[in-house]
Order: sequence, then C-alpha cells, then structure tokens
Amino acid sequence: MTEPVPPGPAVAEIAAATQTTRRRSYGRYVLGKVGGAVGSLFFVTVVSFFLFRVLPGDPARTLGRGRFKTEAQLDAFRAEYGLDKPLPLQFLTYLKTTFSGDLGDSLRYRVPVSELIVDRLWPTVLLVGTATILATVIGVYLGVVSAWNRGRAVDRATTGVTLTLYSMPEWWLGLLLIAVFAVGLGPVTGVFPTGGLHSVDAEPGTVGYVADTAKHLALPVLTLTLAYLADYSLIMRSSLLDELGEDYLTTARAKGLRDVVVRRRHAVRNALLPTTTLIALSIGFVVSGAITVETVFSIPGLGLLATEALSIPDYPVLQGTFLVTSAAVIAANLFANLVYGLLDPRVRT
Amino acid sequence: MVAAAALLVSAAVSGAMLGTPGPARAADKVTFTVGITNEVDSFNPFLGIEAESYEMWALTYDYMISYSMKDMSPQPGLATSWETSDDGLTWTFHIRSGVMFSDGVPLTAADIAYTYNRILDGGPEAASWSSYLTSVTKVEAPDPTTVVLTLKKPNAVLPLLPIPIVPEHIWKDVSEKDVKSYAAEPENGQPVVGSGPFRLVEGTAGGSTYRFEKNPDYWGGAPHIDEVVFRVFKSDDPMVQALIKGEIDFAEDVTPLQVKALQSQDGVTAVNGQSPGFDEIAFNTGAVDTETGKPIGDGNPALQDPKFRHALGYALDLNQIVDKVYQGAGLPGDTLIPPAYSNWRWTPPADEAFTFDLDKAGQLLDEAGYTQGADGKRTMPDGSPLGTLRLFARSESKTSMGTMTYFKEWLADLGIDAEVTNMESNKLTNVILDGDFDAFQWGWYVEPDPDSMLSYMTCDQRGGWSDSWYCNPEYDDLYEQQNSATDVAQRQDDVTRMQQILFADSPYLITEYNTYGEAFRSDRFACFEPQPDPGGILLFQYGVHNYLNIRPADQAGDCDGIATALGAQTEDGTPVSSGSGPGGGNDDEGNSTPMLVVGGVLLAALAAGGVVWAVRRRSTAAERE
Repeated sequence: MTEPVPPGPAVAEIAAATQTTRRRSYGRYVLGKVGGAVGSLFFVTVVSFFLFRVLPGDPARTLGRGRFKTEAQLDAFRAEYGLDKPLPLQFLTYLKTTFSGDLGDSLRYRVPVSELIVDRLWPTVLLVGTATILATVIGVYLGVVSAWNRGRAVDRATTGVTLTLYSMPEWWLGLLLIAVFAVGLGPVTGVFPTGGLHSVDAEPGTVGYVADTAKHLALPVLTLTLAYLADYSLIMRSSLLDELGEDYLTTARAKGLRDVVVRRRHAVRNALLPTTTLIALSIGFVVSGAITVETVFSIPGLGLLATEALSIPDYPVLQGTFLVTSAAVIAANLFANLVYGLLDPRVRT
Repeated sequence: MVAAAALLVSAAVSGAMLGTPGPARAADKVTFTVGITNEVDSFNPFLGIEAESYEMWALTYDYMISYSMKDMSPQPGLATSWETSDDGLTWTFHIRSGVMFSDGVPLTAADIAYTYNRILDGGPEAASWSSYLTSVTKVEAPDPTTVVLTLKKPNAVLPLLPIPIVPEHIWKDVSEKDVKSYAAEPENGQPVVGSGPFRLVEGTAGGSTYRFEKNPDYWGGAPHIDEVVFRVFKSDDPMVQALIKGEIDFAEDVTPLQVKALQSQDGVTAVNGQSPGFDEIAFNTGAVDTETGKPIGDGNPALQDPKFRHALGYALDLNQIVDKVYQGAGLPGDTLIPPAYSNWRWTPPADEAFTFDLDKAGQLLDEAGYTQGADGKRTMPDGSPLGTLRLFARSESKTSMGTMTYFKEWLADLGIDAEVTNMESNKLTNVILDGDFDAFQWGWYVEPDPDSMLSYMTCDQRGGWSDSWYCNPEYDDLYEQQNSATDVAQRQDDVTRMQQILFADSPYLITEYNTYGEAFRSDRFACFEPQPDPGGILLFQYGVHNYLNIRPADQAGDCDGIATALGAQTEDGTPVSSGSGPGGGNDDEGNSTPMLVVGGVLLAALAAGGVVWAVRRRSTAAERE
C-alpha cells in the first residue's frame, strides 16, 4: 500500500490481446479466472505452513522463558499444542483442520485463531478501509485538478504537497498529529484521543459509541489518508495527461462542449482505467492492515497481530492471518479481472 | 467524506434502533487508568505467561500467601499461618474463613486443593505451574480451613505458591480437554468469578482495554478506588503523551529518557524503580550433546577456563555501562541474586568484588598463561593464537547491543580480538543451543525464591534453560541440598556458597540490575508504596498492595502511615489540581517535549518542501517552454 502499485495484470493482458485474434466468451473468461484464484488460494494454504516453520525460534522457549522452568513443563506445553509431533504429521493435521474451517488455537493467546482474526478485522477495515476510500476520492480529484491545470500553481502545489506527505514515514506523521491535535500545541487544543479505538466507558450500540469511535479514528485515518494521497493523485494525473493529447477531446471541444463537460464526460472516464486497477488492488490490501499506524495509535488490528506473532513464532496465527490476507488480495484481483473483462473485451484473450 | 457520511448514517440508525445513549456513569466514580505496553495473553490463570496476565489474575483472584513490601518474603494470604513437619514432608496451611467469591459462594480449603490438584493432574495447568509443586504428591482439604500438602521429598521453595486460587464450582465444568483454550473472560456482562479485590468486567485476551470494578467486600479491606482500567499502548511515545494530557493516570514501563523528561512535568511523578532482574554477559563454558556428553559447537577453548572468564570481570566498566547504555537507570551488577532479596543475596566483599581495572585483568590473564605475543595479541597458554571472540547481542534490545559494543572495546584494550553480531533473540536461542558462540548478552527475572534461577546453572539444565552450558558437580550437589533443605539458615549458607562458586567461575558476568520507568499523575492519585521498599517498582509488584493503597490525591492524608509512599501530602497540603479529567481541558502548555519541537520543524519542512517543489516545477516548466 505504501508504494504506487503498477497498473496490474490488465495492462500486460491488453498487450497480449493484440497478438491474438480469437476472443473467448465472457463465461469462459470468468471460469478461467475463478479457477486461477482457487488454485492460488490452495497454493497459499500449503505454502503458508512451511513458510513459517522456516522461521527461527521455538514457541515453547520464546513464550516460556522464566515461566516453564523445567524440561517437563516445556514438553507438556509442546504436547498440548501438537508441537511435539513430527513435521509431516503436523502438516497433515493442519491441512485437515484448515479445510474443515478450523484455523487452530493461537499459541500465545490460547484462543481460536478465527476469533482473534474476527476481533481484529473490524478495526483494521474501519481504519484502512476509510483511509483508502478517502484517499481515493480526494486523490483522484486532486489528480484531475492537477492534470487539467498542468504546470500552473495548483498543479505544482498539489504535486509537491502530496509527494512530501508520501515520502514522510507514517509513524512520524502520526506522532506529529498526536502532538498537535491530541496533546495540543500552542493555540491548538488537543481534542482527539492519543490512541485506541474507543473509550472504555462508551456503551456499544449507542450514538455516543459511534461518535466516540469516529473521534478515535480521526487522527489515524488522517495519517493514512495523507500518506496514501500521492498514490492516487499521481496515477490519475498522469493517465489524464495521456488522454489530454487525444484527438477525441479536440473533437469534443470542436462540437462546442464546455470545458467541464469535456473533462468529466470524456477525459476522466477514459483516464480512470488504471486508477480502477489500483483501487481494486488497494481494497485487497485493506485487510492486511497498516502496521506502523496501528502501532503508533495502538489500534488492535490485523497488521499488528501478524507482526507480533512473528517474534514467537505463533504458527497458527501466522498461517491464519496469511491465509485471510492472501484470500482478500486474491479476491480483489479476481474482482478487478472480472470488471476489466466487462469494461474492455480485449483482455479476454 | 464518504466514510464520515457512513458513520453519521450508522450513528443515526443505531441511535434510532436503540433509543437513548447508555446510562451516564456516576460522576464521582474514581477510575484509575493505567497505560501498559503489552497485552494480556490469557485471563485463564492456567494458561497466561505475560507479566500483564499475572497482574490481572492478582486483581481477580487470591493466593495462598502474599509478599512483603520490603523484600518479597512470604506473608499471610488466604493462609493465615502454616507449619511443616520435622521431616519436611507435610505442610499444613490454615485458611482464612469468611472469604467469598464474587458470586457469593464461600472460598474454602476445598477450592485451594482443587486448584492445586488440577496442576498435579498434568495438562496445560502443569505446563504453567508444576515447578511450584515439585515433590508434592497429594493435596487435601480435611476441613474448610485446612490444606495439607504431602511431599515425597522436602521442598525448600514452599511456601512460595504464586498460583491463583480458582472457584471449584465454576471450573469443574471446564474439562481437561477444554482448558487449553478456555478464556476465563466476562460473559454476557457477568464478571469473572474470583475472590480478589477487583472483578474483571470487560476485556479479552489480546484486547486493548481491560476494566475492573472494585470488590467492596474484599476481606483485606475495600479498595479506595472504584475502577481500574488498563489501556494497551503499542508504543511508548503516545503513552507518555496520554499521561501528560491526562488520559491515563499511570504509565508502566517508560524509558529512562522519558522518566527524565517527565520529572519536570507539573502534576507528574516519574521514577525508575528497581525490579528483581539482572542483565548479564554469558559465556560458552563448553557446549555438549546432552545425550552423548560429546562437545558440540565451536566455542573458543579459552572461555572453558574459569580463570580466563573471571579475569574478564575486571575488564567491564559497569558504571559506564549503566550510565551510557542504560541512560543512568539501573545498578551495576555482581551476583545473580539482586539486592532486593537481602535474605538470599551474597554481596562480594570489597577485596573480591570486580572493579574496572584493565591492568589487573591483564595480570590475571598473564598468570593464567594467556600472555601477549609480539603483536600485542593474547595467545592460548600453548602459544597458539586465541582467535576472535564472537559476541552476540539481541537486535531488539538497545541495551544488549550497547553493552556488547563496549565489551568489545575493552577486550581490544586487553589484546583480545572480538566481533559483535546482532540478531533476533529467537535466532540467538538456536545459536546458543548449537553452542556456536563465545559470549552473548541477555537477562533474567528472579523470583522471590532463588531456586529456579539457581537451577538454570546446573548440569541438568544444559540443553534446557542453561545458556552458558555451565556444569560443576560441586555446585549441583549444593543445589540439590538447598532444594530439599528444611532448615532456612542451612539453606542460606548453601545459596551463599553457590553464589561464591558462580562468582569465581564466572559463567555469567552480571552487568546490571534492572529498573523499570514508571510515571503517574501525582495531582490525582497518591500513596504508591514501592516494592522492594525503598527504591522498588510501584505496580506489577508481587501482590496488589498498591491497588489497595492508592487513593485520590485530595484524600491522601498520610496514606495510613505508609512512610515511604509516593504522593503522600504534607501537613500544609500542596495544592491539588482538579478538573483535568479525560477529555477535559488541557492546560499543559509548558510541556516542551522534544517531540513537539520536532513537530514544529517538520511542519516547516513540509511547507518548505511544497514551496521548493513548486519553484522547481516552475523553472523546469519554463525551460521546456
């Protein structure tokens, strides 16, 4: 999420499409794409088991330092969570439970991984999802304004500011916003909380609760939105610039259409294609969280859950979060491909 | 904007559905909010491992014994008194009557026996707690106020029994199979059933807030505060900001630099409290395959010589390490039992204690045969090169890396080459178990009873928790002897002798005794008593004394006569500021923390960046045209 994502598979496929004359039906295209996605998901499931077993460290030792004082205690822990079994047997157990929908128990939190993921999913989706939507809307708008006013002050200021924000470390920007808007600096009083998702005394399900959550999320969402802006504004700006030289715009102007209409009805529509790819991919990555911002604002999200599991290593949590985030990305990719297939028949090679 | 609109809509919807907002909380309720930097891993006392979980259980449950504030020695808890038979094989505890669980069921000796028996029966309970019931074969409750432990061999660690007592009438429904993922958290708005001074009403393992309500009927006296709330911060700086702002009342585990910065803050008291743990430089004293006894790994043979290791003790300037690496917090170390445990600790006499004396270190090395060659480098006694010592530091710890960097320099002054490698502690664990190292930096937390710490240095623990691969039969004999001693004075002698052996053989060079930075709003709360007293930590102690001691600053008085309590008011009474509650006004304009300065600079940089970019764009645009 922190760097501009290349326009994605669609572009390569457009290129490939020019070399072939035969065009498949949309139904076959969908079938192929869905099959590919399912295959990827299966591959990810298998790989994630071995991927995390390669990590150095023994969960019983990392967790039990100073607590499991004897070899017998270490062994009891390993036996309880199946870590004493030979690796091939652990793998078979993993496959069996995973395909029956059970992600296992966390070694650290000792609760089902699926519960942990569900608990952490909502904060992450609220935080990253809101920021992605805001960044998309504002970023695309800024990109359009910049491109339309290419070279003028508006363009230079927008590009300069978004790029500066983009190159700032997120945690730094976050701490800065805390210092100014949560603690208060000079004339600015700190009205926002320093972290967390909601106040302890907020009653779930009330108007106050929602307002409280919005207040808590304001600064982290602002941090992420500012950091993401450049992604969208620059891509939108450059693709719109590409369109500006096209003949059909001259035609449109020659028809006597007003500038605003030319921009909205003709130029922007065509320039939106690369941005669509970017947005679809970003939505896939929403689930993987924003580790730095989650850390600075103490938001219990999926990103933090996975990073912290690495140091143990908490295999079931790592496998579970990896699977869920991969599934989200694969699903978003599939969605982008399907939409592209509709928008642009050339990709159905 | 879309999201804001969505929030508004959902607010309106949920408002319409549920009517009015929840009941307003009583304004005069006293809530003590603590900022912590790590989550609770499990509220189930048979599963959790993190220090935070131990603290939560201590609020929720009771224990057989409690700990003194002075030196954490055992004191009455649920047991008012105890005695042991002459052969040390029977321990009889007399249990307080009139203790109630939060659901109104009385706590009796049967609940204690039930809890301990779950541990004796194996499973995850045993993984967590069995070391405290070593040699115990049977736990019985002959009547509601008596618990009898039967042992097959005396166990000197008793009565140290830091095991939370759970209610049998609740836990009997949790089967042996289910306990490994049983959460023991509030359900359907019902608090967790326990007999402790507070009740967990809200919170889940791995969650970011935990809320406790006081138990007004607590047998040890009702707490002076109505609620304790823990808030998890994932980084230090925002937690300190929250304390300055007044969102939290207490910040646990802040850095020495933050303690310094907070000391000048109005209404905040910040201290580095001594905590019973140490950091050490450990050597590879000879790694072996524990089954065959054959050497493994590639440790430098010089380090298998106790004389060589001991000489290096004079090559450590511990004052400089404490000053530079630990930012002045912490105390220089010497033996593996920290000063807090005065009962067990042996302090090296002045003529034996290590001092920073490179000449003496060099002289000792010369005497042991590790003389300097023509190139100034020390050699093995047989004249072969000593080679380069591989020092390992844990990359997640600045103090670990700092200590080893200094150590390397001092070794160079002695004519010994060394190189420092920083790696994650997980990876380092593997390196240690393979014996592929010469020295590393790590640390231990030491319990009120020294037994487990002493056990980590025995031959049997090689391949287990022994990370120095130290093995000395004389030491092992003393370990066995103290472990089953029935006479305290005899055991103290043994433990002293063991520390002397370790000091002479130096498998560890103890560099520092730990401190924890803690800060609290002294304008709001008072009467924090340190443990060990004086100089110790204020929360995360052994026991929950301070959750019972503390009270609002304006009602502090003399803290019921606790002379050493922090925040007790003087006779004339220092003015107590009020009204800076969470979300309240912010009048801390004087907080010139470095972060704000950085903030100002950054805003300027941002503006400048925009301008520079704009100018640059203009000029290039102009050139193109």
